[in-house]
Amino acid sequence: MLNSNRVNRGSAGGSAGRGGRSLTVQRNALESNEVIAKKNKAIFGRAFVMNFLSSPGSGKTSLLESIAPVLKSEGLRAAVIEGDVETDLDKQRIDNLGIPAYQIITNGTCHLDAKMVNGSLGNLDIKDADVIFIENVGNLVCPTSFNLGEDMKVVVLSITEGDDKPLKYPAAFYKSKVMVINKMDLLPVLDSDIAKIKENALSINKDLIIFETSCKKKPDGGVGNKGIEDLVSFIKEKVKLKAEEFRKIGGNMYF
Amino acid sequence: MHEFSIALEIVDTLEENGYLNGVKKVNSVKLGIGKYSGIDKNYLGFAFQNLNDERFKDVLLEFIPNDSDEIKIKEILVD
Repeated sequence: MLNSNRVNRGSAGGSAGRGGRSLTVQRNALESNEVIAKKNKAIFGRAFVMNFLSSPGSGKTSLLESIAPVLKSEGLRAAVIEGDVETDLDKQRIDNLGIPAYQIITNGTCHLDAKMVNGSLGNLDIKDADVIFIENVGNLVCPTSFNLGEDMKVVVLSITEGDDKPLKYPAAFYKSKVMVINKMDLLPVLDSDIAKIKENALSINKDLIIFETSCKKKPDGGVGNKGIEDLVSFIKEKVKLKAEEFRKIGGNMYF
Repeated sequence: MHEFSIALEIVDTLEENGYLNGVKKVNSVKLGIGKYSGIDKNYLGFAFQNLNDERFKDVLLEFIPNDSDEIKIKEILVD
């Protein structure tokens, strides 16, 4: 049971009735996570790293299945870190693409943190990777608090989830640089209001870059559509910029 | 329910920076909590009560809200 009497709900009041020595701290509460996130960033090196957040079932893995092979066919080396509460089912799907992957099973924890990712890096060949995708645990709240050392967070929202999600879960949209609106192929059979989804998301974060994608396979097995192509182009550009930046400073950018 | 992880991170940050040296009891923790921090205040209080750390058993949490995404430890009162 929550004892809400112990919680001062947003009041800026002092510690009335509480004695003791006062110590001024002024530190990021997640400082220990930040230290490991910086180490991760150094280990990632020149690879561009994207941390995918979403609620369960929005299509994060399908999105990776759609974009990773295109990147691979264009000579870019990808690696994937999967995060799930249980099973390595998502890793198996990435394995089928011939792309290096490592599965973090959190055993109930609702998010990945920098330490978990750090622990995975000894088990995943990222030495030559151009891009690393981290698929966080399906959850629009908890993963937003933890920096994993990524270059950007990407929030994936499927059109079945409703246009009010950005307003209900603002942290994920505030902290992401990219929003992918997925399952666009379902639009003809739904009443989803794409303009409203965008309006709500941009009201939280006016700088969000938005892509509209569908991962539904065509009869030839491909998923090519403009949204996927645009997202791939965006990633390629970011990979190039990160590599250039890394080269310029001699690979010491994060040490 | 990532507030348990956040509570542990707060304890780690205080511990690693020496704020808990010789401290028997933490009476209160004043936190700057951004509205985009993704933190549920009630759950964070619940997490502290169940940390299995006697020093924080009766801790009072105070929240200073702001418009950022920060989770910042501002001040603690200790015995």
